[in-house]
Amino acid sequence: MQSNSDVCRLILRPDVVSTVLSDGAVILDLRSKFFFSLNSSGWAVAQMFETGASRSEVLAASTNWGADNKDHPKINALIDQMIAEQLVEPAGSALGAPAKVTLTKWMQPTLSKHQEPLQRIMVSAFDPGLPLAE
Amino acid sequence: MSTIAANSTCRRQFVYDCGPAKLVIDFENAAWRESLHGLLSQYDAPWPTQTQAITVSVNNDSVPAFQSGIIGRYLTLQRLRVDCIDGRLVSIGKLGSRMEIETNAGCARIYIPPQSDDVALVEEIEQHFVLLLARAWAHAGWGPVHAGSLVPADDSRCVLLCAPSGSGKTTLTASLLRRGWRTLGDDKTLLRLKAGAPCARALARRFHLHPEAARWFPEAGSLTVWPRYSRWTEKRLVQIDEIWPGCLLDEATPAALVQLERNPDGPAITVVPIHANGVLNSLLRQVVIPGEPGHARPLVNCVAQTASRLKGARILIGPEAFASPGVADELEQTLQSLLT
Repeated sequence: MQSNSDVCRLILRPDVVSTVLSDGAVILDLRSKFFFSLNSSGWAVAQMFETGASRSEVLAASTNWGADNKDHPKINALIDQMIAEQLVEPAGSALGAPAKVTLTKWMQPTLSKHQEPLQRIMVSAFDPGLPLAE
Repeated sequence: MSTIAANSTCRRQFVYDCGPAKLVIDFENAAWRESLHGLLSQYDAPWPTQTQAITVSVNNDSVPAFQSGIIGRYLTLQRLRVDCIDGRLVSIGKLGSRMEIETNAGCARIYIPPQSDDVALVEEIEQHFVLLLARAWAHAGWGPVHAGSLVPADDSRCVLLCAPSGSGKTTLTASLLRRGWRTLGDDKTLLRLKAGAPCARALARRFHLHPEAARWFPEAGSLTVWPRYSRWTEKRLVQIDEIWPGCLLDEATPAALVQLERNPDGPAITVVPIHANGVLNSLLRQVVIPGEPGHARPLVNCVAQTASRLKGARILIGPEAFASPGVADELEQTLQSLLT
């Protein structure tokens, strides 16, 4: 039986920006200033949340990517990580069908959080860093 | 820079070409132009394409009422808080100055409170202008990167040098210019994707060199003859191609990144490879990314796409490294190896 958390749709927060690379993607949370690297399978999962998807919809889509039931714990763990990092939020009820995401080759999905957030207070609009003492 | 208009009062208009942005500035009080000329004239690299002009009015009175809603959601700088309100950028300074930018309309207004002889206020107004230029460059499709660059002779690929101010970007750059390398600049570069590939372009032709650097580069002569860069530093604003003619380039293709660090207790030079995530981390920290998703997205895309194509290394520079024999050879070999 599906729980409510399986069918509740999630969507990337509007202040989370992403950019696609040849082997995955980078996402930056403009609120926390942390950024994350995803491999291509991780990005396929995250991409579902660009337009909104539930956990069960992501798991269903993953079969088209080459994943099987044994991969579900890893997919769930990545979704849990996105929830814990507050990269996603509950979506409204007016969403249509989830986006159709394609993936060439399935691998274990990863979401790597970079250790240090970007600077919150910057020297100028050109120079993010604080100068070292001369 | 050129004066384009004058009238019977002291109000005057000046034009500054700043890379891909042209500022047409109407100073209510021309004395402010004197204070800001050093900043506005430093972005002097030639630019190939016609740029859209931004009209700026600098007003000394009628500062609009303080807007308490501005909390720095767009950017928080040491001297300014910036928010995006109804499509306009509004920045307020700690000393009461204020700027409103309407980039799409090509105009901005700066309001300066009365204590106009305050040096700190001049620096605050400079920061408004840096913000205005950063937005204008981004609007023109270029991302400002706080990085230097080095290009080997007979090559069009560059190594980006990333480090906070004061870490030695300029000194390292100078140490290789005297060996025939070339540069786009010592700490200001514009970056964009051109047909999917990164492209870096020069913005400022003058270097910020500490007079002590003359110890290592005797051909530079006494650097104290050059004007001081700002009151906060001994560094001088040096026309670098007068020392090493032919060393300045306009454009190059980024192919490697060096994260430069001081190593006060270490050997003259230590080289540590860094991998993809480290390169991304290093480059992202040299770019100011605003909190507005629509403005952040193209910058993040440009930085991430560029970083994914770069080989990287950390170079730790010990004390008196540039006086040590063989260090320049090792630096040159390290940078060359990143480009192969």
